[in-house]
Amino acid sequence: MPTLPKWLSEVGWRTVIGALLLGGIIHILATLAVPLLGSRTAFATLRDSLPANRMVIVPPPAPGKQTLPFLTPDAVYAMCRYDVSVDSLLVKVAMAHAGWTLSMHTPQGENFYVMPSQQLRRSEVTLTVVPGVDRLNEFTPTPRRVSGQETNIASPSTEGLVMVRAPLRGLSWRAETEAYLRRATCTPVKRAQ
Amino acid sequence: MVLAVGGGLGTAWYMIEAGSRLSTRTSGSWTTWTSAGRPDADPYTRAHTIRNALLPIASTLELTYQAKADSRGGRLHAGCEYVIVMGGLEGAWWSLAAFDTQGRLIHNAAERYAFTSDSVMREPDGRAIVTLARDARPGNWLPIGGSSRINLILTVQDAAYAAAVYDGGHAGRPLPPIQRIACR
Repeated sequence: MPTLPKWLSEVGWRTVIGALLLGGIIHILATLAVPLLGSRTAFATLRDSLPANRMVIVPPPAPGKQTLPFLTPDAVYAMCRYDVSVDSLLVKVAMAHAGWTLSMHTPQGENFYVMPSQQLRRSEVTLTVVPGVDRLNEFTPTPRRVSGQETNIASPSTEGLVMVRAPLRGLSWRAETEAYLRRATCTPVKRAQ
Repeated sequence: MVLAVGGGLGTAWYMIEAGSRLSTRTSGSWTTWTSAGRPDADPYTRAHTIRNALLPIASTLELTYQAKADSRGGRLHAGCEYVIVMGGLEGAWWSLAAFDTQGRLIHNAAERYAFTSDSVMREPDGRAIVTLARDARPGNWLPIGGSSRINLILTVQDAAYAAAVYDGGHAGRPLPPIQRIACR
């Protein structure tokens, strides 16, 4: 019959429960601390290379020239690092083909808005990024609409990323894909006071 | 005390890096974080996203699967040859790419790093056979030389598929197996 080591048999049940509780607390604290302490987020990685409120075309990832790890390589990306603390942001994208995706992310990587390219839908997309409800109350009672056709997207944070992913169907389509992607813009627009 | 601290940190690290049934779904060798990118993601998924500097599309639209092992459980290695028959993803946009364990692309002279549902060559029955090998192979050859251990990333964009996986797993549409052909 197997026997417990002597030191283990001397451990009282109170000690075992205390250790389990302490381990559980440390587990929870460590898990919750990672988003607060993590400095190597995708946003932090891109922050220095992307000017604020301007769409930048990022070349397809290649060895040694990757903007982010595990990013789909057969695609060209347009990225806009935005800051809507002062002005709203007008985003215009021509979604050319299936697989194109327009997405918006908080600095923590949450994807709070996404739109895939679809058939039977207008390829020209116009959106206005405004601060979320809580932040918006600090600035203005109602967000300004530039035109009746555009859609307001409330950003949970004043900073974030707009990303357009344009898959490459082949090298021969790269020029066409990049030409479409160059039509993507993000521009600050004044909010009504 | 040491056991409690070590256990707490160790289990947190495991849940953040590898995940569990609370935060991931598995189909064969493929694992996806079911709440990746979502604003209502659980703390483990949030920590996983931030710790690995990921920028995922919300899993309501797109699922990103990672495979570290073949279908027999062997660690994916650049010295081996693998075949993946891409089927069962009709109507979805997908991308299959090979990386090293840090998420870096693997350098190769062909400058080929991925296949997508748009760029892959298909068989008459619609399936696509992708071969991962160090040396050139006919058809859809994805070079994996130059690195030791490799990770495969399969991205599937299909809202209906993503919703089905989130709700109940892959019972209806299992993902393609990764068949090891040979190793050096």
